[in-house]
Amino acid sequence: MTTLTPTPPATLGRSALVVPAKPSSWRRLTATIVVTVIVIVAFWSVDINWARLGSLPGEIVRYLWLMFANPNWDKIGEALLQTWRSVEMAWVGTVIGLVISLPLSFLAARGFAPAPARGALRLLFSVIRAVPEIIIAIAILSVTGLTPLTGALALAVNSVGTLGKWGYEAIEGVDPGPIEAVRAAGGSTPEVIRWGVWPQAMPDFVSFWLYRFEINVRASAILGLIGVGGIGDMLTSYTQYREWSTVGMLLLVVVVVTMSIDAVSGALRRRITEGASVRELDR
Amino acid sequence: MSTLAPLVLPPKPRGRWKPWLGLAIVLLITAVTLSPQWGIAFSFDAIARNWQNGADKVLALLQPDWTFFPRTIPPLVETLQMAVIATFVGAVVSLPLSLWAARLTNPNRYTRGALKTLLNAVRSIPDLLYASVLVAMVGVGALPGIIALVLFNVGIIVKMVSESIEVNDAGPLEAGRAAGGTQLQINRAIALTDAWPAFVNQTLYVLELNVRASTVLGLVGAGGLGLLIDAVRTFYRYDQLSLIILEILVVVVVIDAVSAAIRRRLV
Repeated sequence: MTTLTPTPPATLGRSALVVPAKPSSWRRLTATIVVTVIVIVAFWSVDINWARLGSLPGEIVRYLWLMFANPNWDKIGEALLQTWRSVEMAWVGTVIGLVISLPLSFLAARGFAPAPARGALRLLFSVIRAVPEIIIAIAILSVTGLTPLTGALALAVNSVGTLGKWGYEAIEGVDPGPIEAVRAAGGSTPEVIRWGVWPQAMPDFVSFWLYRFEINVRASAILGLIGVGGIGDMLTSYTQYREWSTVGMLLLVVVVVTMSIDAVSGALRRRITEGASVRELDR
Repeated sequence: MSTLAPLVLPPKPRGRWKPWLGLAIVLLITAVTLSPQWGIAFSFDAIARNWQNGADKVLALLQPDWTFFPRTIPPLVETLQMAVIATFVGAVVSLPLSLWAARLTNPNRYTRGALKTLLNAVRSIPDLLYASVLVAMVGVGALPGIIALVLFNVGIIVKMVSESIEVNDAGPLEAGRAAGGTQLQINRAIALTDAWPAFVNQTLYVLELNVRASTVLGLVGAGGLGLLIDAVRTFYRYDQLSLIILEILVVVVVIDAVSAAIRRRLV
């Protein structure tokens, strides 16, 4: 008769617990080393007086105090007028941009135009996207001068780059079923676009336009820096006069206006892409 | 032989006037913004009168002045240094703040809301406006440019990464809590590991944005290629400007390609 000698549970537990080998991490190590080297070289070689960094936080707090402790509300009327000018630039830029980019994005989508035209348009879109709008504005400056129109045209050109790209991606992403159905029923290409593509792609398009408008509102403030007018123009002038209380007021105006436009446009976009809320459908 | 039931068209859905109303509002606003009294005074007149001017400039832009190339190298390098340093500092600052701004990793509603509101405000000011104010504060050079980029980066990274933490699976975090971990331990051991790919992804994206942005920050005196752009623009040297634009194009395309390659590796 053999008796079973029970193994003590503690030993069993300990011997079964084998910590798995760590996964090979040479790739992660290389990445860490490369990133560290790049960052150290950048810090070491950049032409900055690091000694100044010590007094920097104090300085910034002092300026923030100058700007926001007692903002100068006397100039609020002019600030709002200039903000309206910036928003107008953004709006006109978006509208011109969408009018130009809508047909172009169909030509850049697969199935509507020959391949060379498609390639050329896509290249154009990506070149435009790589150039900052302020540089486009500098080039347009020679035609329309230092006017808000220059700003609007620069934003329009820049919008064509992004709207065109998002547009052809949305068109290529639609369900091909309805398109085939229109073709099978004998529809021409305009009819395919109107009844096969547009009903599906429309919410995306409208949402892109609104989003680009939000971007343009920010960008139009930037364009003021080269003197085409708007809130950015006013902000640079008062920064150069070092009237910090007015600068603080202007920054507050920019923040409030941008955040409100973002909120309205964001709500519209959600309504368009997600449809009516359940409560609304009940009524 | 079945007879066809008479074809009855379903009634048209109601509310078809709504898109037209939207279109009318858009057209109205456009008309106001284009008008000379209230708007930006859109006129083809100015364009027609001066298009020759613009055509000359475009012609000059098409003939880059290659001899200018050596002088563009130091500002180009400074642009890249600014982009790298700002991305690094921005990422380091953003990581704890992202954990602070996400619901799963910071259950306190008030501190979370305060941070989010602050960052929304920070995000709504464009980088060039920060740069122009900072140049007046700390003087001309790369430093104001870097601070402007860092502010801009923190706004973006914290928003994107905290949103990705919130859609992560809450299970592991609950397990961590059940095992008796403090919030700090849970965040470090679990939430951070989950958020890591999103964080690296956003950091690369921000690096791309920084390279683009830092090329123009110099226009307000914040160092980099922009200083040179401003100089050649004042002397109407559009042939030199075109060389700078070409360099920006090349650098942006290369950085985009590199970061796209790294991202594919990560996924």
